[in-house]
Amino acid sequence: MIEISGVRVAYGSGAPFALDDVTLGVAPGECVALVGPSGSGKTTLLRSLNGTVAIAAGTIHVDGLDVARLRGRALRRLRSRLAMIAQQHDLVDRLSVAQNVMAGALGRWSTPHALRFLVAATAAELDEARTALTAVGIPEKLRSRTTELSGGQRQRVAIARALVQHPAAILADEPIASLDPALGEQIVQLLCELARARKIALICSLHQIELARRYFDRVVELVGGRIA
Amino acid sequence: MIDPFANLLRLLQSFFPPDLSAAYLFALLVPIAQTVGMAAAGMLIAFLLGVPLAAAIATRGPGHRIIIAVLSSLRAIPDLTLAILAVVVVGLGPAAGIIALAIFYTAMVGRVYGDLFSAADAAPLEALRATGASRVAIAAYGLIPLTLPDLLTFGTYAFECAMRASIIVGAVGGGGIGTELTGTLSTLDYHRTLTLVIVLVALVAGVDGFGMLARRNPRLVLLLLPAGLISLWLYRPQIFAFMHALHTFARMFPPQLDGAQFASLPLLIAQTLAIAVGGTLIGAALAFPLSLVAARRVVPFALAVAVRRVLDVARAIPELVFGLILIVSVGIGPLAGALALGLHSAGVLGKLYAESLENVPAAPIDALAATGARPLPLIAFGFLPLALGPLVIHTLFRLDWNVRAATVVGLIGAGGVGQALYQAQQLFFYRPMLAYVLVTWGLVALSDWFGERLRRRLGWNFVAAG
Repeated sequence: MIEISGVRVAYGSGAPFALDDVTLGVAPGECVALVGPSGSGKTTLLRSLNGTVAIAAGTIHVDGLDVARLRGRALRRLRSRLAMIAQQHDLVDRLSVAQNVMAGALGRWSTPHALRFLVAATAAELDEARTALTAVGIPEKLRSRTTELSGGQRQRVAIARALVQHPAAILADEPIASLDPALGEQIVQLLCELARARKIALICSLHQIELARRYFDRVVELVGGRIA
Repeated sequence: MIDPFANLLRLLQSFFPPDLSAAYLFALLVPIAQTVGMAAAGMLIAFLLGVPLAAAIATRGPGHRIIIAVLSSLRAIPDLTLAILAVVVVGLGPAAGIIALAIFYTAMVGRVYGDLFSAADAAPLEALRATGASRVAIAAYGLIPLTLPDLLTFGTYAFECAMRASIIVGAVGGGGIGTELTGTLSTLDYHRTLTLVIVLVALVAGVDGFGMLARRNPRLVLLLLPAGLISLWLYRPQIFAFMHALHTFARMFPPQLDGAQFASLPLLIAQTLAIAVGGTLIGAALAFPLSLVAARRVVPFALAVAVRRVLDVARAIPELVFGLILIVSVGIGPLAGALALGLHSAGVLGKLYAESLENVPAAPIDALAATGARPLPLIAFGFLPLALGPLVIHTLFRLDWNVRAATVVGLIGAGGVGQALYQAQQLFFYRPMLAYVLVTWGLVALSDWFGERLRRRLGWNFVAAG
């Protein structure tokens, strides 16, 4: 499903490779943890998968599509199939929880549809948001303000937004970096369970090797942009 | 609606080409020097008076509450109103302009620098105080160095405003480009009007560039000293007119409106407010779409830069100049006034909106873009809600400003209190004139007070989600 082969990334010419000859394959429903020190290329690898970071060499295929060749609409369609989850600061505070969750549908909605939703959401759309929130365990937050959420709840909303994308893969970049250990473990567990149940490929960067070993199918260590 | 547009088109055509003949450009050197000189002299006085006043406010010196009250109420008299008063008192010419600018910007510098000083880091100031330093020493060694970048940023902004304002005071006989500009318009010499507008835009851009240099090399600010002193000497008020000035001033008292003038006051106030609100709405409506294409985070860099130049031009042209041009096409009346305010506000708000959009946090935008969102939904779900607080605050500040400006465009026949004021001055009805000055002052002070309360109440998180 995700095929990374011989990928190199350099930020600026002459700079050392941020990623150097990275090869990795991830199957649907497989959970892969990326570990390694800060600056080892974890974020770069995740961002190169959805075309946010350009690769200098090698190939990345997602669902058989060559990511480096995609532009405009095709690239947007790919991104709509790859859900990104970052640290807890990526929700839009002034939007409601339901609106943040349904932002996951922006890749498939037309522009008029998206704008109409902000003004008048239909019952079906709210149902979809409620279903996603139920899957992450906080259905009661549907009508809450985003600013009222705790750190763990924010991450659950981000995961719900990812589910609304009906993604082929979830790319999670240190999703528990700003959570306390117990909460972090719950979020990791939730991510892995959802990925396996829904046949979503999961690549998740982490600092907690213990958690990585306990919940993930595979642990990949990056050191200086190379797979160790 | 066809007619005004046809008029406007014909009018715009009559502006081209600008008169760029060597003779005319050479003849412009004196008005340009007057305009720059007025701004430099006015600002020199404003800084010399404003900085100590600001330090007195921040160090809680004797009478700081009275200083705050006086500066705030001076600020509520629009610069043009001050200029009209100054022209009446000291006669036509740059001296009147310098006095008006000096009063208005002393109040502005004093208040804003006072706020900046008050917000300075407390610990180093405490340490200075502990050494037993005097207030002057605390200002020189603590307040000014601690807040220098902000002082320079605001100082150059104030200078830019003063440059525009010195055009405005020119239009009521303060000399310089403003006087030249009204001259070309009244003689229908539009080619030269365009030349003057170009000069104006270049001057404002020049001040902007100077400001950027001064922020890197603060010593450049000292250039203001010789420039200001020279023009103060050149344009010093004629001393022999002093008795006449006192006499004229005495004729303004007591301020008084007759029955008919008093009866028309509500309508005049309503017109002024309508111009202000209408101008702000027009400005915001134009500025928002423009700001989207001027924000470097939203659109490609080259496009954003190009749109910003357009906004710079709109910003460089004072409301009054837009108004002078507009009355020819839409006729005199509040509509011309509101459009004039709207066009200038579009330039100001467009830039501020664009900066607010550029300043939104990156993470939520990245997250939304990662869902494959199209451009407009990305704006609606991300940039807009994230920047809503600053957008509203900027608009409210503009509304405040436009209440002042609405009285200014009154002078070209846009109606409202400003027009009544100007007519009273032209007819030498000094007692009603002072009454209108007081009405203007009350109106602006009220809008300041209201705006302040509203902003404090709304804060930055005022919009309920969903």
